[in-house]
Amino acid sequence: MMNGNHMKMEIPALGKNESFARNAVAGFAVECSPTVSEISDIKTAVSEAVTNAVVHAYDAERAENLIEICADIDDDGTLTVSVRDFGRGIEDVAAAREPFFTTKPDDERSGMGFTVIETFMDELTVDSEPGKGTTVVMRKRIGGNART
Amino acid sequence: MSIESRSERGKLTVAFCGDIDEFACRTLRGEIDALILEKSPSEVVFDLKNVTFVDSTGLGLILGRYKKLNASGGVLRLKDVPPQVDKVLRASGVYSVVEKVK
Repeated sequence: MMNGNHMKMEIPALGKNESFARNAVAGFAVECSPTVSEISDIKTAVSEAVTNAVVHAYDAERAENLIEICADIDDDGTLTVSVRDFGRGIEDVAAAREPFFTTKPDDERSGMGFTVIETFMDELTVDSEPGKGTTVVMRKRIGGNART
Repeated sequence: MSIESRSERGKLTVAFCGDIDEFACRTLRGEIDALILEKSPSEVVFDLKNVTFVDSTGLGLILGRYKKLNASGGVLRLKDVPPQVDKVLRASGVYSVVEKVK
């Protein structure tokens, strides 16, 4: 049997898709036999990244504003999830990753999105180019205890 | 996501059911603020027992209500916090300002 797996999906950057996206990726990760806690971690991290794309990448919710989500499982049960948008991009990625940093304090944004991803996943990289978009890549080794 | 509320002797309890994400917070914020405005409670309890998911947007919702209540001398408490919710709230330091009760 082939180890590893891959998925790719494209969704409009709409609020209602935040729930769909996190549950879809969590469903994909099930084959790694994750614990309940690991599934929660994955859902939370994906939700943060997708919410960032919905709230910050685009000016308005339109069907043509897309988010591309890829997920990969490799041979040792490491899950890699990338969340990409084609929106405005982030001027200063290092600043955006600082706890409590937000460009929208009036909307009660906590500024903790990237911090939560870093807490719940093993690895986080953020690539962004102003005017072109942002790609968030998250990695987590899962289901380690379930394998012999 | 849905909420149910009850109010007695200055204490407003808001029980959440479902996922508290950015999409849900768009309507939740207004609903909760309307309840607080109507009841003028001195204590607000968020019953989180039936919350199935929260992310940092939910954190923003909690901190926003805390700030408003605190400014008017009110108190916010979080009740029956499930494990996933607890992990997000701990990671973000909410418990340094908002009390967790059983």
